[in-house]
Amino acid sequence: MGLNSLRIRLAGAAPAPVFVVCGLGGRERVVDLYAEPGLQVYSTPRHAGVLLVVGRLTRGLVAPALQAHDQMASPRLVVRWTAADGDDPGDHGDVFPNAVVAHGSAAEVAAAVAAAHRELLAGDRPPSAALLADIEPAPWQGVGPYGTGGTGMTGGVPFGRPMAARAADRDDLELDQLKLRLGPLLPSLPSGLVLDVALQGDVVQSAAVGDNPYRLYAGDPVPAAPAPGLFERACHQPVRIAELERARARHHLRWAAGLARLVGLEALGVRLTTLSARLAASEESAQAERLLTRIGRSRWVAGTFAGGDLDDAGLAGLGPVARAAGSEEDARTHDPAYRALGFEPVLGEGGDTPGRVRQRLAEAVQALRLATAAGDATTTVSGVVEGPRGRLGRGAPPPSAALVDLVAGVVEGLEWGDAVAAIASLDLDVEEAARHPQMAMP
Amino acid sequence: MTVWAPAVAAVGVGAALVTGTWAVATLDTAVAGVVAGRGLHLRRAALAPLRRAALLAGRHPVTTERPDAPAWVVAGPLLLALAGAALSALPLAEGLAVADVPDGLVLYGAAMALVMVAVFLHGWAPNSVFPLIGAYRFVAQALSYQIALFLVLLGAALPAGSLGLGAIVEAQSELWNVIRQPLGLPLFLVAGTALSFWGPLALPDGEDLAGGTAAESSGRELLVWRTARAAVLVATAAVAAACFLGGWLGPVLPGPVWMVAKTLALLVILVVPAHVVPRVRIERFVSFGWTILLPLSLVDVFAAGVVALRTST
Repeated sequence: MGLNSLRIRLAGAAPAPVFVVCGLGGRERVVDLYAEPGLQVYSTPRHAGVLLVVGRLTRGLVAPALQAHDQMASPRLVVRWTAADGDDPGDHGDVFPNAVVAHGSAAEVAAAVAAAHRELLAGDRPPSAALLADIEPAPWQGVGPYGTGGTGMTGGVPFGRPMAARAADRDDLELDQLKLRLGPLLPSLPSGLVLDVALQGDVVQSAAVGDNPYRLYAGDPVPAAPAPGLFERACHQPVRIAELERARARHHLRWAAGLARLVGLEALGVRLTTLSARLAASEESAQAERLLTRIGRSRWVAGTFAGGDLDDAGLAGLGPVARAAGSEEDARTHDPAYRALGFEPVLGEGGDTPGRVRQRLAEAVQALRLATAAGDATTTVSGVVEGPRGRLGRGAPPPSAALVDLVAGVVEGLEWGDAVAAIASLDLDVEEAARHPQMAMP
Repeated sequence: MTVWAPAVAAVGVGAALVTGTWAVATLDTAVAGVVAGRGLHLRRAALAPLRRAALLAGRHPVTTERPDAPAWVVAGPLLLALAGAALSALPLAEGLAVADVPDGLVLYGAAMALVMVAVFLHGWAPNSVFPLIGAYRFVAQALSYQIALFLVLLGAALPAGSLGLGAIVEAQSELWNVIRQPLGLPLFLVAGTALSFWGPLALPDGEDLAGGTAAESSGRELLVWRTARAAVLVATAAVAAACFLGGWLGPVLPGPVWMVAKTLALLVILVVPAHVVPRVRIERFVSFGWTILLPLSLVDVFAAGVVALRTST
């Protein structure tokens, strides 16, 4: 056996290196991918060889997805994870004409990705060629004596490339400030979040949320409305409290898994994701409860996170974010079935990032305990339900729409690592925010 | 003999680098598997680094717009060479080192001081935002651990009255430095984790920066970079084994076995936190470095000095 075929055999046995693009309706499925042993999900396309597109690409996601594709090292490959067999990805045009189409569970898709990747390495499948022209993003021509468009040598966008300008820093020193657009595919931000930031070194001086890439425009193919989740159904019909609370715990566990990845604990993230899938079993449920309690009590939360203060005002309906800041609002307190279980909301872990992290961990533990205690009790229908992100029902905008508006304020003045943690502590779903009536179909 | 010496030296350092980095990657995969709840699979963990390396070796690197190409080519191999230089001075047994220089600690210090140059070049070269932020983070990090790192090593050298690594080991024949200077090893391991930017202190290559200085790296270049990072960790563990755990000293087994076993044990201590301790905030590490690490290392070196003076008079 030649050296090269040995290398190919070894490489084929490695987990397939994946960069994920989360399209419409892909968010929940993406979380499961991290726990698949046959895949290694990377936070930059440069480390990956497979672009895994989950769900539909919208108008705002096509260009970033193409760019991510061309940033992958060759040999490379595109896999589309569609909802069902024969489902049309439904993009604008044919974005990735040579993509492998896979469907089913995360495990089935992981197996399909690994198989296609092995074929690619063995030379049985043609590698995906560059899809964008390899030209410089802007011509090397600037305006003015220094090409910056101005009179000085700093600032502006010389030759189409942002250049650091001078601005006062937090100690009132005039230092370099760089204006950048980050996202929508940066994995340390919620998928789809576009952030225009002014960075001074590692510090976010100001931030503004850019266009929502999940937004649909007139003439776009409209995806079928997603099947209502358990929390949406609970607005109109009684559901078992045990089931509802387990779903809440599952949601928070999966959020905690993402946070663990963000602070470098990928293996802990895998464990939390795996546990989240098995909460119906009492043993796993007790295990999850112990693990969450241990993380919440440890001094690591206070040491790892800082800043991101929000005061109680203007947080109405934002569930854990509001309760962490001291609000007592929780729709479950008005439900006699919950009152019979002795339910009292978890309150006031703190209005900053570590507070919100502790709040969610505590609420997940509480949900697991409620699920165990509830037996066959069902909820009382009132049209309003306390979802994992906040209040749902009565035609109110989804919590994420308001959470997105908090982003700019919460990151200002933080170092980049603290800023991404502060955004993660809000647990926002950018796609859910795009479903806000005001965002639809301009 | 003199003709062959460089070749023997190269093979020796190369073997140390290859087996050391492979051991680090194996340990790392094994610990990750246990923490993830997948159990301990040593065979799979031992194969995983080879598989990942084979995968990276077959990828054609992609480049960025207007990178500093020479700096990019140099950064990874430079870091690897620095780790190799540090390892070359380490004695496996009495007089058995690739470069048995009289002042081995100075060679180690010189090589490790240049780590900052390699990391900064690696972040600077791609002409991209996240790698550059990672590079600046490492400068802040390095300024905070460097003085402490070398002070505790000086403390370890004081009982020997020599900067030679062989002499430092021999001076521990009655009592290891880990007991004589109880602060030394813990302080060195913290500073060494920062130097190797590993685990909770992998801030320059952090996940929040999409891989930091390595965010734009791919293929073979990425393979060299990852190997070099692991090699710096191996050098850290090996120096700690020589300076604090008595190097090759030990009963029954031959010296080299003891040296390798102690290095491996320290590697476990260095690798496990990567999967159980979350990333430390850079601001927190910098203030920790100046207000706790540095004063404690001063206490360590003064205490060692007092003891050394009393024994010599």
